[in-house]
Amino acid sequence: MIRRSFALASGLIALSVVVCAVAVAAAPVQLTFTVWSYSNDVIQDNIQKFQARNPGVQVALNDFAWEKFTDVMTARFVGKTSTDVSYSSDHWLQQWAAANWIVPLDDYFPQVAAYKPDFAPYAIEGMTYNGKLYGLPYYADTIIFIYNEDMLKRAGFSAPPVTWDDVTKMAVAMKQKKIVEYPLMFQFQDITPWYIEVFLSMVYSHNNPSMFDKSLAPTYDNESSAAHKVARWLVDGFRTTKIINPASLEMTEVPLVKAMGAGQVAFAVLPKYNLADLNTAGAHAQAGKFKMALMPGETHGTVGFVRFYAMTKMAADRGKEVRDGSWKFLEYFGGKTGGEFTVVKRWALEKGLGFAQLPLYKDPQIRAAINKWGNVTLEEQQSKLARAKEALTPFWGPWSLEFQKEMNKALLGQETPLQALQASAAKWKEMKR
Amino acid sequence: MRLSPRSIPMSWKARETRYAYATVLPVVVLVALFTIYPVGYAVSTSLREVVLYRPASTPFVGLKNYLDIVRGDFFASAWGHTLTFTLFAVPLATMLGFGTAHLLRVRSRLAGFLNAAVLLPWAIPTVISGIIWAWIFNSTYGAFNGALYSLGLISSYIPWLSRPTSALFCVLFAHIWKELPLTSILYVAALQAIPDELYDAARADGAGVLATLGRITIPLVLPTTLIVVIYESMVAIVTFDLLYVMTGGGPAGGTSLISYFIYNRMFTSYNFGQGAALAVILALSLIVFILVYLRVLRSEEVYRE
Repeated sequence: MIRRSFALASGLIALSVVVCAVAVAAAPVQLTFTVWSYSNDVIQDNIQKFQARNPGVQVALNDFAWEKFTDVMTARFVGKTSTDVSYSSDHWLQQWAAANWIVPLDDYFPQVAAYKPDFAPYAIEGMTYNGKLYGLPYYADTIIFIYNEDMLKRAGFSAPPVTWDDVTKMAVAMKQKKIVEYPLMFQFQDITPWYIEVFLSMVYSHNNPSMFDKSLAPTYDNESSAAHKVARWLVDGFRTTKIINPASLEMTEVPLVKAMGAGQVAFAVLPKYNLADLNTAGAHAQAGKFKMALMPGETHGTVGFVRFYAMTKMAADRGKEVRDGSWKFLEYFGGKTGGEFTVVKRWALEKGLGFAQLPLYKDPQIRAAINKWGNVTLEEQQSKLARAKEALTPFWGPWSLEFQKEMNKALLGQETPLQALQASAAKWKEMKR
Repeated sequence: MRLSPRSIPMSWKARETRYAYATVLPVVVLVALFTIYPVGYAVSTSLREVVLYRPASTPFVGLKNYLDIVRGDFFASAWGHTLTFTLFAVPLATMLGFGTAHLLRVRSRLAGFLNAAVLLPWAIPTVISGIIWAWIFNSTYGAFNGALYSLGLISSYIPWLSRPTSALFCVLFAHIWKELPLTSILYVAALQAIPDELYDAARADGAGVLATLGRITIPLVLPTTLIVVIYESMVAIVTFDLLYVMTGGGPAGGTSLISYFIYNRMFTSYNFGQGAALAVILALSLIVFILVYLRVLRSEEVYRE
């Protein structure tokens, strides 16, 4: 009797252990995905579709404001808050990688190499640290010059500006004809990550735009630099000709786009995808009146940037199942599914986001979509003139914020443009040490 | 075995001492875990070079972080902004709280509604308050500009948050709006504790409103005022969330108070060594206020007078 009971108990224990093991094995991998807030409904829908294709992986979404994203992520990484896959940017790649918060994809997923030939060179550069690829692109785009064609015509101009002097001339004319009080507005809040990209786009549109030499020493802190020309032009626009809205210093992307859509701004330098939003019927009072021009300047150069999906060190350390789940996620969102860049294409078609996956430029659906709100030929032309931000180092992100603060001192008249550039160059040297 | 007459009480005393230590031990452990350890860790971090993008090397650098911070141009300006903010925030929060408490004591049909309404800012999380006030002061569609424009007081919208001085005052306004409920409630409690007989006697002696205020109300709410002033000073000095949401410390660092400077060093510049050094400096500064606070709380002279 005792023996039978013992055997029964042993059998039950063994069964429960097996059931538990099967349950653990069958439990879906949980991934935490962090993003900056932008079209969260589309992200959620993409996640649903991913989960439907991959029932073994569950994704929890956490979103934060773009302006605060890097700060929040730093706090998460330092505090070891569970984060498996995340948006990242060429701004912060070097910092995050140097701090060992995200991992090189080629170390874990050698198959990622097959994607490289499809990516634009500036995007690969923006996702590479110490020769290793850290992400698959969420989107890649250029900073472009957008203008309100109707306002320009009312001011008596039939073609967009070609140089920054043209911009001044046209803006002054608009001001004099009382078409708009401040024809230009920028997103120059101290902490917005777009600030430096907009400024550099203007720099890259000049001849000899380099900000640093080969040893990464700053070369922009002198009177003849392209950066000084841009800084002087901005200060003149703020303080002398008053063609730039003084509210630019509190401005971030969304309010600027809204102000432009409402007809309060004639010219702006913005990431290209905003053109799609501005020209979406019903989205803005002035929808349909916006066009892109090549970045004014001698070379029409601009910044090409990339935002990408990265896998964290925390995910890599959680084991093979999580790593495999993460790769499925990364490939679905930034790579191919069924031979197509499904998610990237969706962003391009629905939101006008640019892409690093060059084969998509041949896609007739995408070409037609871009031509609805923009000009695919001009966009391609601007993309060819785009370059990655130079001197990306682990301290580039912190330096860019110091740069922005110093530039704003110049815009407020607290410093001369040259003093602002010199102060920010001194910060660079200090950080480089 | 016979115990000596002295050994019995000694043994009992020892047991009592052990019992006392045993009962406070859990609290001491908790305090050590959540206060002493983090403070010690912060001090230790402040003496090392801790830069997050150089995780492999965190050498001991002594007081270098402190010297770098104090010598930096941003330290003086951040303290300047902090003191300006505090010098305006404390008197305004105190006086408005006192005034509001007086209004709340007036018995009327609206008393219940007013009591609830005055508490509303307190019930709203600070970050949400910051977002609301940033909208109100927005330069292109803000309600504040809209109201001034409608009243004909301005001919075009003013970029309040784009100028360092006006941005600081916008944050100050939001801060006082947020703090007012607390100071008001403290004063309501203090005013309710004053016996009505004192006012009756003063009126019988022919004292006017101002005399009553100056000779009865203000002296008797002085202990509360001291607490309010010291508490509000500490709150003003460590203000962070409103700044973070409303201005991000800008424009041109014009609203970067010392607390924001710490955050900036740590989470934006990734320099935890310097951030910790700044935090230690701020903590030491606050200790001065805390000592004053404790001293005031201990003295009963104010009540006796």
